Amino acid sequence: MRNLVSLLAAEDPTQTHHWLLPETAEIIYGGIASVIVVSLLVKFAGPMAKKALADRTTRIQSDIDNARSSKSAADEEASKIRAALGDISAERARILADADKQAEALLVEGRARLEAEVRDMEAKAEADIAAAAARSGDELRGEIARLSARAAEQAVASALDERAQQELIESFISSVGAAR
Amino acid sequence: MSDARIDSYARALLEIANAEGVLGEVEDELFRVARTYESNDQLRSTLTDSTIPVERRQTIVENLLGGRSTNVTAQLVSFIIGAGRARDLPAIADKLVQAASTQQGSEVAEVRSAVALSADQQQRIASALAAKTGRKINLKFVVDASVMGGLVATVGDTVIDGSVRTRLDQLKSRL
Repeated sequence: MRNLVSLLAAEDPTQTHHWLLPETAEIIYGGIASVIVVSLLVKFAGPMAKKALADRTTRIQSDIDNARSSKSAADEEASKIRAALGDISAERARILADADKQAEALLVEGRARLEAEVRDMEAKAEADIAAAAARSGDELRGEIARLSARAAEQAVASALDERAQQELIESFISSVGAAR
Repeated sequence: MSDARIDSYARALLEIANAEGVLGEVEDELFRVARTYESNDQLRSTLTDSTIPVERRQTIVENLLGGRSTNVTAQLVSFIIGAGRARDLPAIADKLVQAASTQQGSEVAEVRSAVALSADQQQRIASALAAKTGRKINLKFVVDASVMGGLVATVGDTVIDGSVRTRLDQLKSRL
């Protein structure tokens, strides 16, 4: 015992006996303190941590569920959009086909109408030309006849002197007398 | 004017002419007055102009006929004008001539010529027409420049047309 005391008295209290390991007492005290702390932690902080972890797990699970639901909804929406896109394409194709059909019909009808109008106009123009030609011919013939008649009347009038008048009268008397 | 009224006027004038013993002259003169009335636009418009007093129109007629016709003819024409029947003067005169001819048992023949006919020509035409129709002819001569030459004789419904005008018209038609 004396040796141990001597040994302890001989040692410097500021110096450890090993550069890495603490003093034995310190290990004991420290170990006891650690057990107490860990026990307290396990007793009091454990349930809280456990609850927090459970809550977090629940939240994460909820988030995962929500995300799954959202993904499902998004997939459904995407499916609808794809279907709608398909419908739009079909409608667009139908509308374009109808428009093409109507345009073709209008084109055919318009062409037929234009051809008919052109034929009518040509016929009318030909009739007008023929009428104008006939009218001009008639007018020309009428004018020639009028001028000829006037010239004949003037010639006859200038030739009807007294002698000619008397001859006409005598001729009339003779013809009436001869016709009895 | 209606035919009945024209007939009435013609009969009245015929009776007056008969009563005066100048039917031959009156019907001949009325016929000439009627033809002059028809061919003279100025005379026709004057005698039918209602803005000119009737007395003034009667004076015009009496002045025109004075010395050129019998007094009876002038008075009868004046009477027609005074009665407001100037427009019907030709129709009344023609009816009178027709009635006078019927009374005399003859047919009215109107002969139009461009120039006046001599008495000899008139006589020969009357003879020719009488021979042709087989009836006594009451011949009325009218000088009508539109005839141009030759003669046009109208006996009842028969027209004997030897006028230059008609021949020219036929030529115009053919042209």
